[in-house]
Amino acid sequence: MKKILIVEDSSAMRSLLISTIEALEGFEIVEAANGFEALRLLPRERVDLVITDINMPDINGLELIRYVRNSAIYKSIPLFIISTESSERDLAKGLALGANEYLIKPFDPADLQKLLLKYLG
Amino acid sequence: MTVSNDSIGKAVRDFLAEAEEIIDQLNNDLVSMGDCAETGDCNPDLINAIFRGAHSLKGLAGIFGFSEIGDLAHNMENLLDSLRLGRVEITPVMMSVLFDAMDLLGALVRGAGEGHLDASGIPLMVSRINACASATQKSQEVSPLATLGLTDAVLNALTEYEEHRLLENVKKGRLIYSIIASFSLTTFDQELGELTDLLKQGGEVISTLPTVGSGSEAGIDFEILFGSTKGEDGVSGLSGRPGITVRLLGAQSTPPSPSQPAQAAEPPTASPSDSAHDHPAAALPAQAAADAAMTAKSMSRMVRVDIVKLDDLMNIVGELVLSHSAINELVGKVRSSGFSTLAIELGKAAKVLQRKLNELQKGVMEIRMIPVGQLYEKMSRIVRKVSREQGKKVDLRVFGADTELDKLIIEDISDPMMHIIRNSIDHGIETPEERVRLGKDEKGVIRLSSFQKGNHVVIEVEDDGRGIDIARVKKKALEKGLIQENDPLSERDALELIFLPGFSTSDTVTDISGRGVGMDVVRNNIAAVSGMVDIETRPGQGSKVIITLPITLAIIKALIINIVGRTYAMPITSVLETILVERSDIRTIERKEVIQLRDMTLPLVRLGRFFEIEGGDVLPESFYVVVVGVAEKRLGIVVDDLLGQQDIVIKSIGETFKGFKGISGAADLGDQRTILVLDVGGIISEATRGSV
Repeated sequence: MKKILIVEDSSAMRSLLISTIEALEGFEIVEAANGFEALRLLPRERVDLVITDINMPDINGLELIRYVRNSAIYKSIPLFIISTESSERDLAKGLALGANEYLIKPFDPADLQKLLLKYLG
Repeated sequence: MTVSNDSIGKAVRDFLAEAEEIIDQLNNDLVSMGDCAETGDCNPDLINAIFRGAHSLKGLAGIFGFSEIGDLAHNMENLLDSLRLGRVEITPVMMSVLFDAMDLLGALVRGAGEGHLDASGIPLMVSRINACASATQKSQEVSPLATLGLTDAVLNALTEYEEHRLLENVKKGRLIYSIIASFSLTTFDQELGELTDLLKQGGEVISTLPTVGSGSEAGIDFEILFGSTKGEDGVSGLSGRPGITVRLLGAQSTPPSPSQPAQAAEPPTASPSDSAHDHPAAALPAQAAADAAMTAKSMSRMVRVDIVKLDDLMNIVGELVLSHSAINELVGKVRSSGFSTLAIELGKAAKVLQRKLNELQKGVMEIRMIPVGQLYEKMSRIVRKVSREQGKKVDLRVFGADTELDKLIIEDISDPMMHIIRNSIDHGIETPEERVRLGKDEKGVIRLSSFQKGNHVVIEVEDDGRGIDIARVKKKALEKGLIQENDPLSERDALELIFLPGFSTSDTVTDISGRGVGMDVVRNNIAAVSGMVDIETRPGQGSKVIITLPITLAIIKALIINIVGRTYAMPITSVLETILVERSDIRTIERKEVIQLRDMTLPLVRLGRFFEIEGGDVLPESFYVVVVGVAEKRLGIVVDDLLGQQDIVIKSIGETFKGFKGISGAADLGDQRTILVLDVGGIISEATRGSV
């Protein structure tokens, strides 16, 4: 069972991500509604992949990516950004900070599923 | 785009619920933004929050295939993005466009929920939004952030927005600080929250960057970028805790070293992360325990529930209440069959059951209760919008926002409330010039207040406008043929005229109040939830609309009565007393039957006539009268028999009986019979108007 951490402040978007991932077999999901929750969950759950939004209050997605990539323990966890095209610069920064992939809202569930299988399948 | 999953239906409902929530929040934030736009000093967090709302809405709408909603939200987002990044300035025109766009968004989401989305208004709105975005475009400037000596590692993790805020702070001549703080992983969110709250009192928290704790995974460090006019000592003083390094950034400073952020900051008193680092074995069990305690705690303690589920629950409770009544009847039967010991035991058990049922009922009822404040928030938006359209200045004052009411009642009265408020601004509050001439403050005041009164909640909408011109009301009613020339009308009666169908005192039909919705519809809508509307007015000083509502609709205590061979239920909350009356006590005044009850003359109503049921015209020597009252009005209802009190569950009787005066719903009696529930408020207004 591979464990995926979803960091997204919109609960509807979270539900949608979850239903997309649950359509595939063999994934367990951990949810965080903001960067704080994500930081707290990371050491507790042995997360295999992180999917994060960028625009979140307090700790944003970029800050989370930077944290993960600077950490000795988590630095090799695959990281996907999910955001909107309006924040192109932010997306580019995310990739520069070490995110592996990005998805643009509204994303095609098939794309996400393909990417998940590529990294975790 | 579709998602092949069963949960999609639920996901769409989630979308609607969340979209509505976002829109409500956006509306509130826009109102605050409207306030600060006047002074030109808006909190950047506020504008960012509004941007984020539009942004989330766009993302959600796109995913769920509501491309029209997404399109509108996208354009709003662009405008708000320029606004938060300082590329455009807030103008009154922009505020108007944003308010209108928000209204349209709300309508679209509601339309999507009901399955008929009308997208025709979007293109015009989009061009208005874009016009406003380009009209106020400011020239872009080059970032002087390099002088701060921030490392690329830090700069790269800043979002475009955070960069902009950093720049704004520099431009305003504020000093930029890097504050580094270490926390334990188990408690960081609370402690960091406290620290940011303290800092915000003395400046702006621009960014919060987490870094892995100094050498230990059990700790976490944060680098906070902070803009303030305070000096270094002042900022250090703000944080009020040890273990924090404050460094002023600037040309003279050396760049911070991200790999060693907090070494210098280690406090003399051991911090949690410290001890975990130094004595891992000793500290870990305690950490694990604290960890476990944190897991059980969810971030939000609220649960979002579909009201239908609560209705189902309420129905079950109602049926349990009926079963309990059946058991009580059995107690009587057992007793009369001679098993008195058994009857006492059974009676005791039934009492315990009743107590628990009451608690259950109360519990379910409380879940349905929401504070009236939620309704007031919507109203404040209406006040803002309408007063803006009318060029009037209105100050909305709210009292008793925490008074609670059944969620469904709040839903049902929001339209009538909106109309009453529109009326107040449209007809009541004078223009600023007129108010000044009259020696009043140029800003009109609308007071919304609510309070509990027994089993009812009273909501009052009071304005300090010109009041209702009774002579004009009479004249209008005469013109419309609603009254005769010589009808003797008291002031109260004349005021009642405005509740008649088709009545409108406005000579020119306005966009606002003249939408074909009159006070008669307001009264009917409120009566549909067993409420009453009253109006008071003082010429030149204002009017007050008083809405009296039951706290909940679901389960009520009722008096079961018999009239001309039919059984009805009457909500006990409106029953004042029941009296036995001799036929000879009845007098007739102006063709109406009345009796003298202590020092008042009580009009009587015969429900047989009211419902046009054959028979029952001849009264016996003595008969029962149920004295009912809602608000200040009293009426005697003649009944043939009183069958006792009972808890009933009111059920809607559907469209068939809608508009049928005097009936508010149906209820099941314990013995499988269904009876009608009387709408006492409706009967009183009908009867006192003289049609019976």
